[in-house]
Amino acid sequence: MRKTYLGELEEIILLTVALLYKDEAYGVAITQKLIELTSREISISAVHATLHRLEEKGFLKSHTGGATAERGGRSKRFFTLTVSGTKAIKEIKELRETFWSQIPKSLQTKPL
Amino acid sequence: MSHPRWPLQFLKMFCDPSLVDEIEGDMEEMYWKWLSKYGRAKARRLYVFHTLKFLRPFIFKKRSTYPSNSFDMVLNYFKIAWRNISRNTSFAFINVLGLTLGVACVVMIYTLVSYHTSFDTYHSKADRVYRVVTEIHRDEVSYRAGVPQPLGKAFANDFSFSEKVARMKAYWSVIVSLPDEKDVPKFKEPGTVAFAEPALFEILDIPLVIGSISETNGALITKKYARKYFGTEDALDKTVKVSFAGTSHDFKVTGIIEDTRPNTDIRYEVFLSYADLKHLVPWFVADDAWGSIHSDMYCYVLLKPGVSPADVDNAFPAFERKYFPKEDAEAYAFKLQPLTDIHSDPNYGGEFKKSNLWAFVLAGVFILAIASFNFINLAAAQILNRAKEVGVRKVLGCMKSHLFSQFIVETGLIAIVAVIAGYALARLTLPAINTLINTRLELSLTAHWELPVFIASTWLILVFISGTYPALMLTRFQPATVLKSKLTDGTRGGFTIRRTLIVTQFVIAQLLIVCMLVIGDQVRYSINSDMGFDKEAIVLLPIPMWDITRARTLGNRISEMPGVRNTTLCFESPAGNSNSFTGVSFDNTNKIEPWSINLKDADENYLATFGVQLVAGRNLLPSDTAREFLVNETVVKRLGLASPQEMIGKRINVDEGTFVGEIVGVVKDFYNLSFHENISPIVLTTNPERYRTLAVKLDLANSNEPIAAFNRLWTETYPDHVFSYEFLDDRIAAFYNHDKAMLNMVEGISVIAIIISCLGLYGLVSFMAVRKTKEIGVRKVLGAEVKHILWLFASEFVLLISVAFVIAAPLAWLVMDGWLEQFIYRIDLLPMNFVLALTGTLLVAAVTVSYHSLKSAVANPVNSLRAE
Repeated sequence: MRKTYLGELEEIILLTVALLYKDEAYGVAITQKLIELTSREISISAVHATLHRLEEKGFLKSHTGGATAERGGRSKRFFTLTVSGTKAIKEIKELRETFWSQIPKSLQTKPL
Repeated sequence: MSHPRWPLQFLKMFCDPSLVDEIEGDMEEMYWKWLSKYGRAKARRLYVFHTLKFLRPFIFKKRSTYPSNSFDMVLNYFKIAWRNISRNTSFAFINVLGLTLGVACVVMIYTLVSYHTSFDTYHSKADRVYRVVTEIHRDEVSYRAGVPQPLGKAFANDFSFSEKVARMKAYWSVIVSLPDEKDVPKFKEPGTVAFAEPALFEILDIPLVIGSISETNGALITKKYARKYFGTEDALDKTVKVSFAGTSHDFKVTGIIEDTRPNTDIRYEVFLSYADLKHLVPWFVADDAWGSIHSDMYCYVLLKPGVSPADVDNAFPAFERKYFPKEDAEAYAFKLQPLTDIHSDPNYGGEFKKSNLWAFVLAGVFILAIASFNFINLAAAQILNRAKEVGVRKVLGCMKSHLFSQFIVETGLIAIVAVIAGYALARLTLPAINTLINTRLELSLTAHWELPVFIASTWLILVFISGTYPALMLTRFQPATVLKSKLTDGTRGGFTIRRTLIVTQFVIAQLLIVCMLVIGDQVRYSINSDMGFDKEAIVLLPIPMWDITRARTLGNRISEMPGVRNTTLCFESPAGNSNSFTGVSFDNTNKIEPWSINLKDADENYLATFGVQLVAGRNLLPSDTAREFLVNETVVKRLGLASPQEMIGKRINVDEGTFVGEIVGVVKDFYNLSFHENISPIVLTTNPERYRTLAVKLDLANSNEPIAAFNRLWTETYPDHVFSYEFLDDRIAAFYNHDKAMLNMVEGISVIAIIISCLGLYGLVSFMAVRKTKEIGVRKVLGAEVKHILWLFASEFVLLISVAFVIAAPLAWLVMDGWLEQFIYRIDLLPMNFVLALTGTLLVAAVTVSYHSLKSAVANPVNSLRAE
C-alpha cells in the first residue's frame, strides 16, 4: 500500500497531540499549544479540519467527554495517537535524522 | 457579556450534528479567552469571524444512510432524452436548427437595440449634458442641430445655468497634410476634423492618453489617427497642416486621445483649438455673426446639478429677443436636447428612431415565438411515441411533477444546444451584418454583463414557452389507456392549438414579407424615380473654393476631353448633402416671405449639365456676380401667381440684401431633397465665390477611363489638394442609406421567419405522413389517385395559410401605411404586394410539404397494409 502523505501542518499537529497529556489534547488546547510553540497565527477551524482529516487517515482516534461550565456544558473531543500515528511521526523523525547525519558538520554547527 | 448567536445558528444549517457539540464548546472557550484578553468588542468580532471560518467541507452533513435515488433518476432523464434525440435525429435537427436561427436573430436584434440605445450614454456627466438646437418656425417648422456661432459665448455670459459651455465646429472638406514628413503626405478628411473649445473635454468623456489640451494652435488626435498620420502613437509635438475653405493653418499635436467608441455620434478623430478659427475664418467667429445657422456648428452645455432643462428652455425666448430682430426672434426657438437623445431624434439628424427600435424588439419577440411554436408543434406531434414510456413510468409510481420536469430537462437540453449554436452563428455573421446595415456592433460575452444574462434568460424563456405545453400534455395521459394502445389521433387533443400556432407563424411570416416588399418598393422608387434632373453619368468633382480662375481653367480643360458632354461649376448638385436656406423677399418690398428659400449657386451651364428644364424665360447669362436669378415652380406657387410667365422680370432679394436682382426664368420643379421632404422653393444664381463642385456630364459610350483623366488634370490644377469624385446617382442613393439598412434588416428577419416556419411545417408533414401511412394505403386500395392523396396533405396547409393571410393582410396594411407616412413622395400600397406574400408563402409551403406527401402518395399500399 502506498504510504499516506503527511502535510506539514498535519505533522506538527500530530506532534502537538503527542506532546499533550492524555485527556488534554482537544481543539482549543491544541490550537493554543501550537500558537505558543510555532508563534504562527492559526485559526481553530483549520486545526479542527486537520484533526478530522488525520482521524480519517487513521493517525488519530478520538473520544468525547469533559464537559465544563466554561464551555457552556458542551463536551470536548479528545484526540490520541493511534499506532500508525506514532509510527508516522517516528518515521519522519528518523528520515530527518538520516538526512542530518549526512549534512556536513560545518553546516550543522553553523550559528543561525 | 455573551457573543452573538447567529453565526452558530447559521453553521448548524450545514453542520453535521455529530460535530456541533465540540465546535460550539471550543468556540465558547475561545470566546472567553478572547474576552479577557482583548475586551468585548474585539472578542465578539473574533468569535463571529472564527465561527464562520468553520464553514469548511469537513463539517458538512454526510450523505444520509438511506440515499435517495433522485440523482440517478435525473441521470435517467438525460439518458432517455439522449435516446429520444438520437432516435429522431431529423426531428431533433429541425428543432435545433429552428431554435438556433431564432436565437441568432434575437441575439442580433438585442445587440442592435442595445447598441442604438447606448449611444453617448457612457459619458460620466451624460445626465447633465445637453446640445443646444434650433427650431425654425416659419410656414413649416424646420429643425437644425446647429446654432449661430456666437450662441455658446452668449449663453455662458447671460445665464448661470451652466457649469461649462463648449462650442464645436466641424468641417466637411478638410485636407490634412504633414509638412514635416517625407513627401508631405496629404489626407482628405471628410467629417473627421472639428474645432472645439477646451471645455468640451470636461463636458464629454474624451480621455487624453498623453499630453495636454492647448488653447491655441493645438491639435488632439486619436491613437488611430496618430498611427494613420505618423505610423506611431507617439505623435506629440508633430505638426499637422489643416486646409479648408481656401485657408490653412499649422497645428501642433499637443495630445493623443483614446479612439472613438463605436457608440458615439461625436466621431471626430482630430480636434483643433477653436480659438484659431479667428485667423482662419474671422467672419464666421465674429461675436455678432448671429445671422446664419451653419450645419455642424454645435454648442454643448453642462448644466449645474439641479438645473432643469425646462428652466433653460423657458429662458430662451427672452434670449432670442435680445440677439435677433423681432421677426427672427419669433421664428427662432432654441431648445436643449439631451446628449443621450441625439442618436434617436431624426429631426436633428439622429440615426435611429426609437419607434423603429421597438419595431425590431417586436420582430425579435415574433421570431422567438415562431421558433418556440415550431418546437411545440413538433413535440406535440411526437408525443404519441412517448405515450408508452409515460404509461410505464406512471404505473411505476412516477408523479406528474416528475414527468413534467423530465420533459423540461429534455427541452432544456435541446434549447441549450440551440442557444450556444445561435450565439456562435450571430458571432459569425456579425461582420457581414455590420457592413450590411452600416453599424459598429460588437458581440462579446465578457465585455458587458447584460449579454450573458440576456442569453441565459432567452434560454429560460425558450424552455418555458416551448416546454410547458408539451410537458403538460405528456403528463395528462391515462396509463390504462396508453398501455392498452388505445390512444388515437382523436384523443390526443390539442389539435386546434397546433393549428393556431401554425396560423400565428404564418401571420408573422406574411406580415414580414409584406413589409419587406413594400419597403423595398419605396426604396427603389425613391432611388430610381425621375428626380426632374439627370443623375446618370454625372461625376461630381469637389474643388477648393475661392479660386474661380483655376476652377474655370480646369472646367474648360475637362470639357474639351472626349466623352464629356457638359461641365458646370456650382455649389452643389440639384439634390445634394448641403443646402443653404435663407430668407427672401420680392419686388423691392422688405416683406420677408414666411418661408425660406434654397439658394443654389451655379454657372450658366447648370441647366444643360443636369438637364433641368426651363418652363418660362431664359437661362442665366455668364457673370462673375449674382446678377440674374432663376426660381423654380414652387416659388411661383408659393407666391400664388397664375403662371410662371408672371414671375419673369420680378425683382428678388435673397438673404436680406446680400443678393438682389431680376428673375429671368422659371425652371421646372425638381426634387432637391430626399423623398422624405417636400420640394423646397429654390433660387439659382451665378455666384462664383461659392462654387465648390465641378459637375461633369459624361457620354458613357465615348469616354475612356474618364476618372483617371480627371484625376490627372485635377491634380495638375490643385497640386496641394487631394482628388476625389462621386457619382451623382450614388450620392442620391445614399440619401436612403437608413431606409436601405432598414430594408436589409427586415429582409433578414423575414427570411429567417420563413425558414423557421417552413422547418416546422416540414417536420409536421413528415410526422403526418408517418401517422397516415395506413390511411393512405386504404385510400389507395379503394381507388384514390396520387393527386387526391396530395390534396389530403395540401388542403390542410392551404387552409391554414389562407386564414393566416386574412389576419396578416390588414395588419401589414396598417403597419406599412404608418411607415410610408415618413415619406412625402411615397408609393401606394399595391394589392400586388399582398398577393405576392400569399402566393409566396403558399409556394414555399407547397415545396416544403411536397417531399413527404409525394413520397407517401406514390408508396405502394402493399407495404403499408401488409403488417396488419
